[in-house]
Amino acid sequence: MEIYLPVAEMSVSWPLILAVGFAVGFLAGMFGVGGGFLLTPVLLFFGIPPSVAVATTASHITASSISGALTQWRRKAIDFKMAGIMLAGGLAGTQLGVSLFRALRAAGQSELVVSGGYVVLLGTIGGLMLNESVRTLYAQRMGLPPPSAKQRHHTWIQGLPFKLRFRESRLYISLIPPLVLGLIVGVLTAILGVGGGFIIVPVMIYLLRMPTNIVIGTSLIQIVAVTATTTVLQAVNNYSVDIVLAFLLIVGGVLGAQFGARIGARLRGEQLRLLMALLVLAVGAGLLYGLVATPTDLYSVAVGAP
Amino acid sequence: MRALRLLALLALASTAPASAEDLVSGLSQDQIEITSNYTGTDLVVFGAIENATSQDFSGRDVVVVVRGPNTGITVRKKAHVAGVWINSNRIVLNGMPSYYYVASSRPLSSVAPLDTLARYGIGLKAVEPQTESTPIQGKAEPYVEAVRRQKARDRLYGEAPNGVEFLSPTLFRVRVPVPATVQPGQYRAEVYLFRDSTVVSAQSTPLFIGQAGLERRLFDSAHKSPLTYGLATVFMALLLGWLSSFLVRRTA
Repeated sequence: MEIYLPVAEMSVSWPLILAVGFAVGFLAGMFGVGGGFLLTPVLLFFGIPPSVAVATTASHITASSISGALTQWRRKAIDFKMAGIMLAGGLAGTQLGVSLFRALRAAGQSELVVSGGYVVLLGTIGGLMLNESVRTLYAQRMGLPPPSAKQRHHTWIQGLPFKLRFRESRLYISLIPPLVLGLIVGVLTAILGVGGGFIIVPVMIYLLRMPTNIVIGTSLIQIVAVTATTTVLQAVNNYSVDIVLAFLLIVGGVLGAQFGARIGARLRGEQLRLLMALLVLAVGAGLLYGLVATPTDLYSVAVGAP
Repeated sequence: MRALRLLALLALASTAPASAEDLVSGLSQDQIEITSNYTGTDLVVFGAIENATSQDFSGRDVVVVVRGPNTGITVRKKAHVAGVWINSNRIVLNGMPSYYYVASSRPLSSVAPLDTLARYGIGLKAVEPQTESTPIQGKAEPYVEAVRRQKARDRLYGEAPNGVEFLSPTLFRVRVPVPATVQPGQYRAEVYLFRDSTVVSAQSTPLFIGQAGLERRLFDSAHKSPLTYGLATVFMALLLGWLSSFLVRRTA
C-alpha cells in the first residue's frame, strides 16, 4: 500500500494520501475555499519536505477549485470582471511572494513567519466570522431582524477612486480593493501554500459587500488561475512539484469537493460560516501551540546549505 | 546468478597464495533500484575469512560499514524569545554522510579503542562533517550530535553492536536495512577484519542506489524540462477536476 514519490524522494501510504485529499477536498467544496491552509500542515505532519508540500498543494487546490468553479459557473454565480482584476493583482503578488520566501528561508525564519502569519491571519478571520455568524444565528432564533451591520453602505471603500460597475455582483466600487486583495492573496499563495479563499471570501462578503452566492464562484475561479500559475512557477524555479503526490491528492480531492459542494448547497450561509470559523480557529490554535510549546528537539536538521 | 558469481569469487580468492588472514566479501546486490513500490529493502553483506591461521577466534572481529553519499546539512537551534520558540543560531555542516550503518561482531567498544575506530570512520561517534561553519555562539559538537540523533530517528544512521552473524567460524553475514527515505547516489560497503584490535584486512565494495522506471522518468523530466512538467501537472489537475464534476453530475 506504499508508493514512492519521485520528487519528494520518499514513500508514503497511498490510501492515506487519497483519504487526506478527499477530506480536504470535501471541506474545500463545502466552504468554497481551496483547502490549502489545511493541506499544507497535514502534509508537513506526514514528513513531506516543506518545499514539496507547499508547491504540490497548489496543484491540489487548482483541481479541487476547478470542479467547484465549474459547478458555480453552471449556476452563473461568477463575477468574471471582479475575478480578472483580482487575478492581475494575484500574479504580481505571487512573484513578490516567491522572492520574499527565498529571502526568509535563507535567514532561517521562514518557519516562524509562516506559522506566525497563519496564527494572526486565521485568528483574526476566524474570530470575525465566528462573531458575525453567532450573532446572526442568535438573532434568528430570537425572531429578531439580522444585525444591522450588513445594511451599512457608506464605508471607506465607497470613497476610493477608479470606480467600476460589476453587474453580477450588483456593485459600483473602486477597482483598488479587489486589486490589492488579489496582490495580498498572491503573496500568501507563494509563501504559505494556500489558495487564499479563507481571506477572499470574508473580504468579499464583509468589505466589498458582494452577494454571498456570487462570492464562492468568483473566489474559486480566481484561485484556479493563481494556483495554476504558482504550480508552474514552483516547478520551474524550485523543482518542488511532485506529480505522483499531486495525482493522489487530486483524485481524492476532486471527489471530496463534489460531495462537499452538494452538502454546502444544503446548509444555510450562517451555519456554513459558523462551521468554517470554528475550523479556521482550530487550525490557528494548533499552529500557535506549535510556536509556544517547548519543542521536543531544540535542533532542526535540513539537508542542503541555505 | 549472484550466488554463483560470489562462489566463483570465493573460489578464486582461496586459490591465491597468501599467508595472512584475509577477507572476501560481497553484496546481495550491487545496485538498488527505487521504483514506485519501493518501501525500503535489506541489503545483505556477506563474506568469508581466508587463511584462518589459528582456531582462536576470541581476538577476531568483523565490522561492516555502509556509507551513503556526502551532503551539506544545515542545523538550526531554537531559542525561547518572548514566549515563542524561534531559530536563533545555525551551522552548516559539509560532507556528512546521508546514510551510515555500522554492524560489528561485538559491541564496538570491545572491538578496538575509540581512536583506532575513529581513524577508519567506524561508529556513529566517528561520523563527523568534513568542514563546518562556525556557529554564531557556542561549539559545533551539539549540532553534529543533533544530526546523528535525528538521522538515527529516521533510521538513516544505525548501529548494530551484534549485527554480524557468523554462519560458520569463517563465514559471516550482515543484514543492512535501507529505508525508503535514502538519498539516491553512490554508496560504499566496507568490511573490516580486526585481530586483537588492529585492522588486518579491509575491503570496500561500491553500491549504487538510483531511481528506476517511471519514477526515474518523472524525476528526470521534473529537473530537465520543468516547464513541460509543471504545465502537465496543471493540465492533469484541470482535467481531473473537470472530469469529476462531469461524473458526479451524471450520477446525481
